[in-house]
Order: sequence, then C-alpha cells, then structure tokens
Amino acid sequence: MAGNITINFTVNGYKEVRTVNSWLSLLKFIREELKLTGTKEGCEVGECGACMVLLDGEAVNSCVVLAAELDGRDLVTIEGLAKNGELDLIQQAFIDHSAFQCGYCTPGMIMSARALLNRNPSPSDKEINEALSGNLCRCGAYVEIREAVKTCGKKQGRKEEARCP
Amino acid sequence: MRNFAYRKCTTLSEVTGLLGGEGVFLLAGGTDLLVGMRGGKYSPRLILDIKSIPELKVLREDEAGITIGAAVTLNQIERFEPVAKNVPVLAKACHHIGSFSIRNRGTLAGNICNASPAADTAAALYCLGALVNIAGPGGERSLAIEDFFVAPGKTALNKGELVVSVLIPKPYPAGKGIYYKASRTGSVDLATVGVAVQKRDDGIRIAVSAVAPTPVRAKAVEKAVNGGSTDWNAAAALVKDDIIPITDLRGSREYRCHLAEVLVRRGLAEIMEV
Repeated sequence: MAGNITINFTVNGYKEVRTVNSWLSLLKFIREELKLTGTKEGCEVGECGACMVLLDGEAVNSCVVLAAELDGRDLVTIEGLAKNGELDLIQQAFIDHSAFQCGYCTPGMIMSARALLNRNPSPSDKEINEALSGNLCRCGAYVEIREAVKTCGKKQGRKEEARCP
Repeated sequence: MRNFAYRKCTTLSEVTGLLGGEGVFLLAGGTDLLVGMRGGKYSPRLILDIKSIPELKVLREDEAGITIGAAVTLNQIERFEPVAKNVPVLAKACHHIGSFSIRNRGTLAGNICNASPAADTAAALYCLGALVNIAGPGGERSLAIEDFFVAPGKTALNKGELVVSVLIPKPYPAGKGIYYKASRTGSVDLATVGVAVQKRDDGIRIAVSAVAPTPVRAKAVEKAVNGGSTDWNAAAALVKDDIIPITDLRGSREYRCHLAEVLVRRGLAEIMEV
C-alpha cells in the first residue's frame, strides 16, 4: 500500500518521528511538513542546489531524495546552523562579503560550504569550486561566494586552534 | 510523481523475490530514478530502497581486486585510496559525473544500469576489464562489463536480476590511464564524447562513450598502437572504424567523429610519451 511510512530521524539536533507518503520528496517534507522554509525549491531535478541540506553530514539535493529515505538519518537544514542566536561563521562570512544578490541560492550555497569546511577547513579555490559545483547562482555572485568560503575557512581554523591549545 | 509503494529492503533475497514484478524499480542514489519519474519517464508501482543491504555497501580491496557495492556512492569511490592509487582512471571518470552533491548520492552501479551510451564510468571500466556481479532468482553470475551494455537504456540484466557489485580485477594495469570528457559546459553535463585510454601490461586499451549504441572499444586504434605504430595522428584517425555516432542536441555526428579522434590522439600522446 502506498503511503503512511513511519520515519525516525533527527532534524537540526531534535529527534522526530513522523509518517510520510512514499512519493513525498525530502524537499517538500522539509518545507511543507517540518515548516522549515529556508530550504528552497528550484529546479526539482538536482541541478540547481537551492534545496541543498546535510544528510549524515553530506550535502545532498533534497529534491531528489524521498522523505521515506530519511529514516534513521541525521538532517541539518539552514535553520540548524545558527547556535544560541549566533550565526554560523559561514553565514556571517556571506554577509561580510555580500556573497549574494537576490539570496535565493544562499541557503543551498551555505549548506554545501558548511559540508566542505567541516571536512576541509582550508580549501583552495579549486576545492571550493568543486564542492559548490552543484549550486547555481543566477545573479552571478560566485566570486564573492568563493571569497566568503575561503575567509571563513581561515577564521574557522583560528577558532579551532584557539580551542585546542 | 504518481502513487507508488516504498519498501526499504535489508536482504538481497527480499529484493530478488520482488524485483521481477511489474513496475518494480530499485532505488540507490535516486539521482536518475527520481528525475526520470518527475519527467514521466518511469512510473513505478513499487520502489525498493536497496541502500541498507550489507552486500551492496561493500567497498573493499582484497586478492581479487577492488569490489564496489551497488550502493556505494561515486564520491566514496573517488575517495577510496586503493582506487585513487591503483586505478586513477576510474576515480577520474567518477569525478566527471554530475555535481559534487549528486556524487554524494549517485552510484557506479546506477551509472552502468542506466545503460546510457554516454555513461562516464563505462569507458574507464572497459579499460580496466571490470566484472559485474549480478544476483537474481536463479542465483548469482558474473559478466564482463563489455557484455553488460546491450543497447541504449538496455543492459544484459534479466528480469528479477540486480547488480550487486562491480569488481576491478587484479592485476591492476601498471601503466598510466586517463579519461577525457568533452561536454557543452565545463561541468555538470553528459558527455558529448568520452574517451578513456589505459596503458596495460598487454598493451594499450581505449574505450569511447557517446559514439555508438553502447560504449565501445577503439579496437582498430589499439591494434595499430599495439602493433608498434607511434604515429598518434594516424592511429587516432582509425577510431572511426569502431564508432557510429548520431546527431543530437549535444553534437552532430561529424563533430563527434572529430572529437573522438582528437581525444584519442591526446590520450595516446599523454599516456605513451612518458
């Protein structure tokens, strides 16, 4: 029978249990059922990256994942980055570098950048281009976006050094 | 997407028991399936999620070679040290598929099961003599990658069968291998033409994608080079003997013939002159 699949998962650190229909995409589930509308809908075929989220720490296009596949996994959306009212370093870096114009691609860009910086705090230009290859910016803010990611990596590195003397 | 049932499978026998049914589709990365469903290409009745089956999550190196389970993602393959070290041509081919985030989901098995003549990994797998391990209601079997591709969108899989893993057999080629891809944009597009060239102990091996109903070996070029020719221009021109490209939105027949020749020549120069 179609529908009514129970899924257990964590979203932005909270444990959740929900029932979903088999054909619901993860993107629609996030926006319409979890009401986390920071994740944007763009192309719906995995090409634009506006819907990027972290699934078990990896950047994935939520439009080409089924909500049912979320069972047993850890989901982080753009809403999960700021902690105690303080923006994540990468969010602040995007603001500092004006790394957007219309802002529609920004949540997706930030999620891909966060995944990159988590595994590589000092990425080269090439590595940034690679990691963000699945994120399109129609305004063309790519140069500022790359600078934001690079600067953030350096800041993050300093912060980590300060934490472990 | 119209209504369908979803089932998360945990054993191979569960899958082979259900797969023969009408409208039953496998879901690994979903990067082709879900896009195809949205475009109306596929209308599944039942989707079997195979990502939780242990045999399909295997990524290991042993005496036989490198075994890549059907649920292993392209990024996992690219990052797997034995692949990067021993068969970099495969790492390169995986890297050419889609975007980084797509490669966090997409799989090697999905790439070959789609049976696109333009499959990026195919040319590399041809050069490496990969074997496809298949399970089905009748048991297990193994097939050479060149026998796996049958026609556009059609593989040698029988009803009810699935790919469990792909084996890159030992001994690994001692020589260098490369994969060149020509596409309309710098990244995130299907190949207009893809060429893999691999130097091996038994000679050179060349495979070309997006120039025939399936990926093909450039056997005439291989024969010339393995026979001692060092005129790469003349040898590369022979690629036309083995390809029959079509004209489509990615390029005309003539352009594809030209690209294939240029990429083979570049590959030969790169691989042989070291």
